[in-house]
Amino acid sequence: MKSTELTAEESTNEFAGNGATPLIRLEGVTKVFLTDEVETHALSGIHLDIREGEYISIAGPSGCGKTTLLSILGLLDTPSGGSYALKGNEVANLSFAERARVRNREIGFIFQSFNLIGDLSVFENVELPLTYRGMSAGDRKALVTEALERVGMAHRAKHLPSQLSGGQQQRVAVARALAGRPAILLADEPTGNLDSRNGEAVMSLLRELHQGGATICMVTHDERFAQHADRTVHLFDGRVVEDRMAA
Amino acid sequence: MQTLWQDLRYGVRMLLKQPGFSLTCIAALALSIGANTAIFSAANALLLRPLPVEDIDRVVVPVTLREGFDPFGSPFLEYAAYRDRAHCFASSGVATARSFNLTGQGEAERVRGATVTANYLSTLGTKPVLGRTFSADDDRPGGSPVALISYGLWQKHFGGNGDVISQSLNLDGRNYNIIGVMPPGFDLPGIADVWVPLQTDIDSLPLTERAATNNTIVARLRPGVSLGQADAELKAIAHQLEQEYPDFRRGWTVKVLSLRQDLLGDLEGRVHNALFALMAGVAFLLLICCANIANLQLARGVARERELVLRRALGAGRWRIARQLLTENILLAVIGGTAGLLLAYWLLPILVALNPIQGISLAAFFHNFSIDQRVLVFALCVSVLTGIAFGLLPALKGAGAHELMPRIKQGDQRSGGDVAGRRWLKGLIVAEIAIALTLLVCGGLMVQSFQRLQHVALGFSPDNLLTMKMVLPLSRYSEYRQRIAFADEVVERTRNLAGVVSAGMTTNIPLERETAYDAIFDVEGRPSANPNDVPITAHRIVSPGYLETMGVTLIRGRLINKSDRADSLPVVVVSDEFARQGWPGEDAIGKRVRRIRAGQIFPWMTVIGVVKDVKEDLFNYRINRPVWYVPYAQVENNFPLNLVVRTRIDPKSLTAALRDVVRTADPDQPVSNIMTMNTILNSVLVTERFGAVLMGTLALSGLMLASIGLYGVMAYAVKQRTGEIGLRIALGAQRKHVLALFIGEGMKLTFLGVIIGLIAAWAATRLLVSLLFGLGATDTATFCAITLLLALTGLIACYFPARRALSVDPVIALRAE
Repeated sequence: MKSTELTAEESTNEFAGNGATPLIRLEGVTKVFLTDEVETHALSGIHLDIREGEYISIAGPSGCGKTTLLSILGLLDTPSGGSYALKGNEVANLSFAERARVRNREIGFIFQSFNLIGDLSVFENVELPLTYRGMSAGDRKALVTEALERVGMAHRAKHLPSQLSGGQQQRVAVARALAGRPAILLADEPTGNLDSRNGEAVMSLLRELHQGGATICMVTHDERFAQHADRTVHLFDGRVVEDRMAA
Repeated sequence: MQTLWQDLRYGVRMLLKQPGFSLTCIAALALSIGANTAIFSAANALLLRPLPVEDIDRVVVPVTLREGFDPFGSPFLEYAAYRDRAHCFASSGVATARSFNLTGQGEAERVRGATVTANYLSTLGTKPVLGRTFSADDDRPGGSPVALISYGLWQKHFGGNGDVISQSLNLDGRNYNIIGVMPPGFDLPGIADVWVPLQTDIDSLPLTERAATNNTIVARLRPGVSLGQADAELKAIAHQLEQEYPDFRRGWTVKVLSLRQDLLGDLEGRVHNALFALMAGVAFLLLICCANIANLQLARGVARERELVLRRALGAGRWRIARQLLTENILLAVIGGTAGLLLAYWLLPILVALNPIQGISLAAFFHNFSIDQRVLVFALCVSVLTGIAFGLLPALKGAGAHELMPRIKQGDQRSGGDVAGRRWLKGLIVAEIAIALTLLVCGGLMVQSFQRLQHVALGFSPDNLLTMKMVLPLSRYSEYRQRIAFADEVVERTRNLAGVVSAGMTTNIPLERETAYDAIFDVEGRPSANPNDVPITAHRIVSPGYLETMGVTLIRGRLINKSDRADSLPVVVVSDEFARQGWPGEDAIGKRVRRIRAGQIFPWMTVIGVVKDVKEDLFNYRINRPVWYVPYAQVENNFPLNLVVRTRIDPKSLTAALRDVVRTADPDQPVSNIMTMNTILNSVLVTERFGAVLMGTLALSGLMLASIGLYGVMAYAVKQRTGEIGLRIALGAQRKHVLALFIGEGMKLTFLGVIIGLIAAWAATRLLVSLLFGLGATDTATFCAITLLLALTGLIACYFPARRALSVDPVIALRAE
């Protein structure tokens, strides 16, 4: 039996995938919000496996539970019921500190509105999650440089986010998600704030990353972008109504 | 006008819309404007308000100084010289404060009074409310006995009746015709209730009497003559006198003070400096308040930015927007100012109770810290200026948007908030901390200085001591043996009272606000190397048992006892400082000293005892001066007698019994100033206490306001950066990282403020040098302690908002999409 009480040193090994078990396994996950004595079932009995190297999109109309599902996958929120195993380890009920540690090492986030910190340079933004690992400055620099080079933004490392276009900001956000070499990239409407040309560019970047071996889970309501993924899961009223592989 | 009315209405609506914000601002404004108004009322009463003296700024007092620092009364010799030689005065007069036994008006009573030249009152320009003042004819030698009485005496003894003029007043057994009643509150010189003409040809007096330093000169400057010019001219005349009368004038000089400064006893400008420091303190407090409210306004301005930009998009000019915001702010400041005025009204009795100035003439005016027209105008001006000060920056920022559309659409870019806006907030908070540190250092120094002054070794034990003054009239006690007999009888009867431990007589109670007697002395076998170096000592003539009663510590030899009679060997007990100066490195016992006065040679006195230094002299409280105690039986004098009684019960409970003792010894002898030694001590450090309490309170208020300001800015930052915090947590930040982020930012501001504040405090404390005792203006311990205190306060102020940041839900990073 594996313990969920992971230390920082143990975590990398504990969460090392073996390819046989899914990277992520959700079983009967539910999420209920209580507001003014009203129960809202955001997710109801979600069963979902995501294997290493998969590129999956989660689609559905507004309010169907896409963002809630992504929050649970990203350990930003805890399910009300069911189990969530990441690399075979149960993570649904980790403490705040453990969740933060797992999130920092295993999950890379790409947000719709980029969420770059205005006061920090491009380099510092990408470096930010690495600073929470207690990594040496030299190691951090190497990882940040590599990530910026992968998204083609190394030449803007010293710029502030306000000096970049929307597409460039999202590329920096992708670099930030990549820099820590996470097990999975979670992207929430990554093209939502971009025009179609920049949106396509970001989708190409994600495709390239996937081809390089990255596991990607992307939430989108845009069918065109959903088609970039290998597999599409459709949600409706908090339930998985369709789970199909790309043709 | 219509738009102004519109702005005002909108301003009221905005204040009502955010009652929490409005109340916070009004409370902060009330506190600082109230403090400013209260301190200004004190400054107004002490320095600005008109006194019952015509054109008071032109009236000066030449103060006679010994050794350049010790103030004495002026001799007639000086008065005559100034009158005849000085060109800077339009007129001058002289008065001698004294007291009279008033009889025939109920129980015999000792009243303070003065003998004055006719031109003393005419120089002051004070008009009586009834009758007339003295004419030249009244003042001629052998003139008729006439008197002026104070308004208070008129009310007390004559019921305020108009027919008091020409009524008789018995003073020291002589009848005087009352010719006038002086205006309410007028009591110059020396809290006088009765004035009689001097009726003396000063120039024909013997030199020893002309050289006696027990008078007060007043003079009115000629038009165009400055105080400095008068001072220079009088110093030159004093130098001439030194050369003309070396036996009498060697070592004496003069300093010309304005009458107001002299009345405040402010020879060294300490009162003026204390008031200046306090005014600067409250101004600093107001600055902190302005910075705080500007911060709140800026924070609110960010929230209102869309409204303001929309107004601009709809055609409002920048000036129109700025005016609207300024109107709102001035409205807020005027409401805060009104509340501050009410607070000041409530604070003023406390200031009066702190009683910064005691024992001075015209106390009715100086103690009247009321809110008059000048104070009201001050409060209004401060309120409006405050409104402009804290409103200008937010107004300029609010009106200053250049690119409207991006700001209208702003809100999409949520991480980190408005960097420029936060820079302003940070700048203001750094300024607040710097000001608070400056205030705290100044307050800390003044409080410590006061504490050290309070703990100065007095050289006697003040608890359970009761004191009482008696002025023996020459008419009844013309022979000195009568005085000795009276003193002996009173002391003996007092010792026999139940509850009395011991009793004694002295010519001066230590530290009392009365004329203190000094003497020039000569040490046998040690002629002064420098003829201008004239050694001087506090001159106390005491009965046997006085030093024991006071609890003075004997170091060597013995104290004065009953064997020290008029016909025995003249002896003296000296203080440690006296012994150090007289016989450095030697034993003083058995050595001889004598008094010198205006060429008179007194007998040699043998030192029989050395006692620990005693704080005898109020003016020289901060230093140790030589003191000698000579037996009352051996030194003839007509100084007032002071009975000192040590009790084993509450000393005040013996008041009636002591009155009976005196009445038994002499039924016609009035007593006055019955008070405990602790009451006398309470009045010693009034100015220092006033400064320390107020500066300390201001400093703590400043610290409180600055910490609230820092808290507010950090809380605002947490709120504004909620998205960023959520993002950081989403990216794996632990609690410690989030805590470190906000505490680190807050402490950076704190330390920057502290560094600037230390520089400012270093400069500001230069102004306090003359007010401090026992520690320097750059006292390292104070600077370090205040720095630590501010750092700790900053840490606490940052910790709570930072803790709130921990509760941010990281889902917010997704939810806000």
